[in-house]
Amino acid sequence: MHFSLSSLVLLGISSLVSASSLTITIPASSPLPNPHVLPATSHATLTSLPSGGKDHILSASLTRSATFVFHDLPYSGPDAQPESYLLDIRSAGDYVFAPYRVDVAADGSILGIWETFRGNSWDNRGADKYIVDIAGKKQIDVVVEAKVLGRKVFYEQRAQFSPLSLVKNPMVLLAVVALGLMFVMPKLMENMDPEMRAEFEQHSRSSPITGATSNAMAGGGFDLASWMAGTGGPNPTTNNAAQAGSTGRDTSGPARRRG
Amino acid sequence: MRLQAALFFAACLSPAAAIYPDEVNHIDFHHALLGTPSPDSTFFLKPSPASNASLLYTLSDKLLLGAVNPRDGGLVWRQNISRSVNSPAYGAGLLRGFDGNDAIVGAVGNYIASWSAQDGKVGWENRVSEGVVGDLELLELEDATATSGVRDTVAVVASEGAGIVRRLNGNTGKTVWEFKDTSGDVPFQVSSSSTEVFYISLQSAMLKGFKIKVTVLDPLTGQQTRQQILNTEADVATPESVLYVGANSASPIIVWTDKSQKSLKVNVIGTKEINSITIDNTSGSEIRQITVHAPRKLNALPHFLVHFETVTGAWAEVFHVDLMSAKVTKAYQLPYLPGQSAVAASVIDANVYFTRITDLEAVVVSSASHGILGRWDLQKPSSDIALHSVSEVVAKGKSVAVRSALFRKHGDWQLIRNGQIEWTRHEGLIDAVAATWAETDAQEDLAHELEVEGHETLYGAYLHRVKRHVRDLEHLPDWLKDLPKRILSSILTDEVSNLDSFGVARSVIVATKNGRVYALDTGKHGAVSWGVQAVETSQWNVKAILASPGVATIYPDDGSSVTVDVSTGKIVSRIEPSSSKLHSIAVFEVQDGSSLATVGVREDGTPVTAFANEDGFLVTTSVDGRVLGWFAKYNKTPVWEFVPPSGEKVVDATARPAHDPVASIGKVLGNRSVLYKYLNPNLALVTAVNEQTHTASFYLLDGVSGKVLHATTQAGVDSTQPIASVMSENWFAYSFWGDVDGSESSAKGYQLVISELYESPFPNDRGVLDSATNYSSTAALPLPHVISQAFMIPESISHMAVTQTRQGITTRQLLCTLPSSNSIVGIPRPVLDPRRPVDRDPTTAEAEEGLFRYAPYLDFDGKWYLSHTRDVAGIKAVLSRPTLLESTSLIFAYGSDIYGTRATPSQAFDILGKSFSKLQLVLTVVALGEGVAVLAPMVRRKQVNALWRA
Repeated sequence: MHFSLSSLVLLGISSLVSASSLTITIPASSPLPNPHVLPATSHATLTSLPSGGKDHILSASLTRSATFVFHDLPYSGPDAQPESYLLDIRSAGDYVFAPYRVDVAADGSILGIWETFRGNSWDNRGADKYIVDIAGKKQIDVVVEAKVLGRKVFYEQRAQFSPLSLVKNPMVLLAVVALGLMFVMPKLMENMDPEMRAEFEQHSRSSPITGATSNAMAGGGFDLASWMAGTGGPNPTTNNAAQAGSTGRDTSGPARRRG
Repeated sequence: MRLQAALFFAACLSPAAAIYPDEVNHIDFHHALLGTPSPDSTFFLKPSPASNASLLYTLSDKLLLGAVNPRDGGLVWRQNISRSVNSPAYGAGLLRGFDGNDAIVGAVGNYIASWSAQDGKVGWENRVSEGVVGDLELLELEDATATSGVRDTVAVVASEGAGIVRRLNGNTGKTVWEFKDTSGDVPFQVSSSSTEVFYISLQSAMLKGFKIKVTVLDPLTGQQTRQQILNTEADVATPESVLYVGANSASPIIVWTDKSQKSLKVNVIGTKEINSITIDNTSGSEIRQITVHAPRKLNALPHFLVHFETVTGAWAEVFHVDLMSAKVTKAYQLPYLPGQSAVAASVIDANVYFTRITDLEAVVVSSASHGILGRWDLQKPSSDIALHSVSEVVAKGKSVAVRSALFRKHGDWQLIRNGQIEWTRHEGLIDAVAATWAETDAQEDLAHELEVEGHETLYGAYLHRVKRHVRDLEHLPDWLKDLPKRILSSILTDEVSNLDSFGVARSVIVATKNGRVYALDTGKHGAVSWGVQAVETSQWNVKAILASPGVATIYPDDGSSVTVDVSTGKIVSRIEPSSSKLHSIAVFEVQDGSSLATVGVREDGTPVTAFANEDGFLVTTSVDGRVLGWFAKYNKTPVWEFVPPSGEKVVDATARPAHDPVASIGKVLGNRSVLYKYLNPNLALVTAVNEQTHTASFYLLDGVSGKVLHATTQAGVDSTQPIASVMSENWFAYSFWGDVDGSESSAKGYQLVISELYESPFPNDRGVLDSATNYSSTAALPLPHVISQAFMIPESISHMAVTQTRQGITTRQLLCTLPSSNSIVGIPRPVLDPRRPVDRDPTTAEAEEGLFRYAPYLDFDGKWYLSHTRDVAGIKAVLSRPTLLESTSLIFAYGSDIYGTRATPSQAFDILGKSFSKLQLVLTVVALGEGVAVLAPMVRRKQVNALWRA
């Protein structure tokens, strides 16, 4: 009897003194294949509102085995309220971890750990990570896995210069097409049978620009400035072409000159 | 307007102008600082047995633990231990490690931990519940049981009336054995030899002084094997009287002197004998400091050096210990040299080398003989006093090479390799308390000349101008000479144009707590242009730095001021301190000109002086938490007084920045109607907290009348965490830790609240102002229409600022300092629009305006991080400054680290960036030219042919 009583007392003392610890391991995942690449400044924090003079911000640094260990979770005595902490893991802003909710009982033991969602109600809990076994004995050291959500991209990628991108440029493409037309069209015209060619020429004369260009190409000596001014050049072919292309423009030359 | 629209769309397309990887180290710079390295806890160490490369480790006075690459002075890793230490009283930290062992062990206060030497990750950590760690030693001997490379630690814990010696397992940090000494002696140090662990404590003698007690312990079991008491009470008055307790050498020693500093006393630990050696002081002046340098390796020769320093010079004596007889004999002497000198010991295999650096030269000697192995003249002799140094010697045949990390009194940590300064870390900058942008007087002359021309007659002004241009011609030859170089370099270099002339290269004047003033050039990657000791003090509480062209004036809280020349650092003038202690310094513009004036504000909130011919007003806060409004003309009674409700305490007050241009007085909505901004230059945002009910209240006051324009209260706020706030244009923002609080809030986490002020809730309406062109603060001041929105953010914000640009056309960024991830983030203002539609998708008109659906959680996009992957620690304030380029704002952050960058919130729209390829342009022009050259003869031939045919 005496023995059992003293052992009970011992048990009570030990449960009071040995506050539980929380270990967060970082599993290898697709965004973070090797957790050991995390920088040494990575740390986990447990944060809550200050109450009753106990620590309300706890911090743990990254260990060599890529874990965060919170030794001695704060306990405030038997009659205090359980505390609910927000667990954040920060890694120099690089990898993003899911926040957790950690509920710690008044005696410093962990009641439960859930995923939580920022911008949502605190009662809106996600997947269970750990829940205390009510019937069984309390687990002193709790181990949970962190969840890596992704990786932050800090840098903008600069467009690389490549000759291909130069070719893809619409202006360059237009120029290439125009050059192609310039060289290929006369060849095509030569290969056409004479009737079709005559028809084509007739057709193209109806438009003053194409007419003018074809004239320029055929006749040469085309005065672009005078054509744009509508005054016609000294070249008789041009004048003829213009007159043939547009009827009733006999007086246009002098009239324009006056204007 | 069109430019604004273009800018706006640019902002919409890419919400953030992120940094490009090739701009890193080009537009930004970072001084990652550690603080003053402590002499006992700084050493070179080879972290890996496989590699011969060593790193420089230190634990600084700021409790920052770091490894520095001795090659370039770059920081390899850094840990802030002060976060982990929770015992209130701690002295200097302790750090131990040795070659080939990938674990360094440090202790501060009650915290003792081991870190990986290569990457700084925590191996194990322990918090001692009984007291504080007094001393620490790594056991160099290897047990049969221990795995190779992992060494156990022996620590002395000083608790109430008892000393505890503990051996801690090198892998787990668990206690292997413990020895408790309850005799009431003062626990002092621990030392070890290859076979024994020595616990040294100080026993109070009968009358005064201490006897040194050495307890010899068995390293395997911790059992006491024997004990020795040295009768030293006549010499050792305080624990500081013991100069040295040798650690980890074949024959560890205890060194002290007699009270008159006439003779040196040496005891080989474990023996009873005290060797007394007469100090041969030939200099004639009083010895100021005696330091002992001994190797810390077990297999090193038992030699040590004692360095004697007087006010004018220094000398050193080398001693040998005879292992058999425990006798100490003097081997030779390093001669007395005037000036300062610093000595360091280093070990190669068993040989011990001493490096002595004086003002003019560096000398390496072997401990065995006095022959000089290497001597180098210092390239740049420094007048700054060398405090301590650590050295690493490499022997190549008969010659030696040495590199020494020397810490100087004014906070420079230099690596001197064979007499050459390899790098300098300006650790003194870690104490920066205030900073400001310097104003150069380069444009001052031209402005003056133009002013002269403006006041002269037409003819006179013309003549003056012609003369000025003729005078300018003298620069022409230089300009022509530089021209080819400029053209060539502009094609070859990455940057399209040198932006220094656009105000991008600016000096920043930084004042530190220990009375130093530095100038950093943002155009040269934050290089220190000069540093001067303005005041001899350790508590320089600088309240403001005022820059005027050519000079900067620093105002501490004692009413004095120091004016320095910004280009040379010369102290121009000084004003002696006045009696009253100042709470803050207010700066305002004097009406008659462009000059600035300051007025000190006492702790009760009253201005020290009144300005008779100023019409300004002043808002001050007092220590007891009131906000007061004053007329500049009268400083006896305040015009108004704001006292928060009982229980609340004013913690902070902010106003709009001095340079805060507003590009548009309204906000154009999607349907082309306009919401008019409430633009009041006299706004003040006051933060008050109630620690009992966990609430924080934010009051928006009019500075002239003291009228409360807007008030809001947040529940569940942790007032012990930082509450940052900022105000600009027609909006203000604040952040805090918000907790679950009954009906008010159901979320737990950090929150950021933004509020915009408008003249009326309706577009195209100015409320009561209607068509008024101005309004009065004292008459009926209309209240703003406030639209607010809260966002949950992932982490706390300790300081807020806003980017400033020349015209204010560029969108603003909210610059937030994130203390927990050590970064600075610039949140684009359009993201923080409180008018973002809640719980519905935006209408077409809203989408056109750039609004998108509100989400309560605002994650910080990686592209918003101005500091990108840098670890910018301990930032207390962020400064922003416009440049001549509208797109670009300069950013400078200080507090612990120093960080500077350029922010382009709407992208660099007025700069041809690196993506603009000059080569491509040149190639295109060349290609076109060639095309013309090829085609021209063809066309000509064709024309000629056509003429012939016609």
